[in-house]
Amino acid sequence: MKKLISMILAVTILLGTAGLAAATEEPIQITFWHSMGGVNGEAITQMAADFNQSHDDIQVTVEYQGDYDDAINKIKSAGMSQIPCDVFQLYDIGTRFMIDSGWTLSMQDFIDAEGYNISQIEPNIAAYYTVDGTLYSMPFNSSTPILYYNKDAFTAAGLDPETPPTNFDEIIEMSKALTITDESGSVTQYGIGMGNYGWFFEQWIGKMGKHYVDNNNGRGTEPATKVVFDENGAAYDILSVWDTLISDGLMPYLGTGTSDALAAFIAGDVTITLGSTASLKMLLNNIGDDFELGTGYFPYINADDEGGVSIGGGSLWILDSGDTAREQAAWEFIKYMISPEEQAYWNAQTGYFPITVATQDVESFQENLAHYPQFGTAIDQLHDSAPEYAGALLSVFPEARALVQQYTEKLINGEMDVQTTVDKLATEINKAIEIYNLTNE
Amino acid sequence: MLALHRKSLHTTGKILLNIPMMMLILIPLLYTLSVSLMPTDEIYKNVLIPSSINLANYRNAFTNPNYHFIRFIFNSFIVSVSVMLGQMLTCSLAAFAFSFLEFKGKKVLFILILSTMMVPGETTIIANYLTVSSLGWLDSYWVLIAPYLCSAMGIFLLRQFHLTFAKELHEASRLDGCANWQFLLWVVIPLSRPALGALGAYVFLNTWNQYLWPLLVTNSTTYRTVQIGISMLYDVDAEGMGLMMAGVIIVIVPSLTVFIFMQKQLINGLMAGAVKG
Repeated sequence: MKKLISMILAVTILLGTAGLAAATEEPIQITFWHSMGGVNGEAITQMAADFNQSHDDIQVTVEYQGDYDDAINKIKSAGMSQIPCDVFQLYDIGTRFMIDSGWTLSMQDFIDAEGYNISQIEPNIAAYYTVDGTLYSMPFNSSTPILYYNKDAFTAAGLDPETPPTNFDEIIEMSKALTITDESGSVTQYGIGMGNYGWFFEQWIGKMGKHYVDNNNGRGTEPATKVVFDENGAAYDILSVWDTLISDGLMPYLGTGTSDALAAFIAGDVTITLGSTASLKMLLNNIGDDFELGTGYFPYINADDEGGVSIGGGSLWILDSGDTAREQAAWEFIKYMISPEEQAYWNAQTGYFPITVATQDVESFQENLAHYPQFGTAIDQLHDSAPEYAGALLSVFPEARALVQQYTEKLINGEMDVQTTVDKLATEINKAIEIYNLTNE
Repeated sequence: MLALHRKSLHTTGKILLNIPMMMLILIPLLYTLSVSLMPTDEIYKNVLIPSSINLANYRNAFTNPNYHFIRFIFNSFIVSVSVMLGQMLTCSLAAFAFSFLEFKGKKVLFILILSTMMVPGETTIIANYLTVSSLGWLDSYWVLIAPYLCSAMGIFLLRQFHLTFAKELHEASRLDGCANWQFLLWVVIPLSRPALGALGAYVFLNTWNQYLWPLLVTNSTTYRTVQIGISMLYDVDAEGMGLMMAGVIIVIVPSLTVFIFMQKQLINGLMAGAVKG
């Protein structure tokens, strides 16, 4: 009897301490750095809060770190001592830098370790972040560029409002019909009006099926050493289009980036423009009942081009903190963020692409699509593309993009002709690549 | 009579000239205010004056739990006021030494300090980051304040002002048995109020407007300042112009208030010592 009592006692004590241990175990704290402002920032914070609600063992702290350029600068500085975050969101064009930095763990390691079914992720999106068969970061907020047009203006100009232009030959023809001039000779409505945006330049090269840089478009085992858009004629064709549009007076210059072009489009000053799919909701909200918004595929430069669009936007990186528990927690968090339900919410709030295939079966996503049928164009366009058009990877992409915009502006100002612009642009970007490769050997 | 007439003509001319100039400078600000109050659908419609007042943007900036604007304003105040007071103190002390005291190497030291003004802040930012990070200061009020507690510009400004004081003032006080610190506290500082006011306003505004340093050295919302708050309102793919403009207005109101209260001192102070020095 005594034995029994002592045994019961021992068992209760053991159970008691075990229970106590479980209750006092602190959740793993991880930090998530992101670059989403405005409504997108609100949505990302909400998703992280939902994750914390549903996971007792992991707590994510969400911290905004300025826009992507600020964030990459911050991580570059922090990387010299210690990076105080576990999950980091960065833009597409920072991919090569992050791979080369050695601060991160590849997503592939977690996928392989767990046997996670990678086919759940849209292949054309995953392709961008895959180098040599390894998925480095998890796509999260993805977008593609599309063409937006004003259906009412098309009807008024005698064009078919259901047929958007597919290439710049058509855009130039349509722009002539869409241009309206008042008695004094000044233009009150233009056809095309697009922003001077380095991202479009990259996309047009992809739509030609050509490469931006050497070494398999920067996706080989060795990073890129020089640009090839000057040799393969891609840049010449693109800049010629800019030259024609501006010098023939078919397009007003609407600045770098897409803000001003989209504003002019909303105001009805231009009737065709280019923009990110992520801007769709903003456009619809601001256009209201003023006119009917149409969407089309991102246009080819030449009628006979063959290629596809690649994605832009951002992805999530897991940083190598040396603490397995935190790294595993980061992976759990990322899996949650890309789950179909969360992606449907993310898509509805922001207009970014759902990156998980199964999202298309989620009811709220289908409702959203029924509400914004224009978004269907973006999905079809992505599915019509192929992983081989995933786009270039380049460590100095942020600089290269700024240079593209700068030299396009020089061309527009008439400072140099098309061929000189192409040559100078290539020289400048090559210089940046060379310096980077020399200092990072 | 004629003189009076001419004077009023002169004033009228000045006003006529100044109004267009004022409008030119104020229009972006007024338009910002106007956009922040516009109903969303008017923002892109080439409208100058909103048809009705919409306060939703301000309400959103203050009450939305994502934006923490009140916290940011509080933080910016703490940091700006601390840096302002700190610089007024340290720069007064240094300027006093450089103007009234005689010691070996005074000139060289002064030139050394001045030469730091030639170094652009951006070039030292990474080195500074590594220093504060190795000291374990990251993510605190201290890291926002400490590196800015002294400035060459402040020392220079106050020294030039001190030089306009008669040397005899110092000698007389010494004869009356006044220690250096007493002379500084009771004579120099009260007399340099215009210069100190100018320095204070200048430093306050500069600190208030800082972006890169606070972004780099703070991570959490607890220590973030207003300029980062503004960028949180913006996203390249999801522009909310109204909200962003409301943020801009909220943030410039305190700095504008400081400027209005101190502008007389600011202008007098910056001019003082410029002619005689």
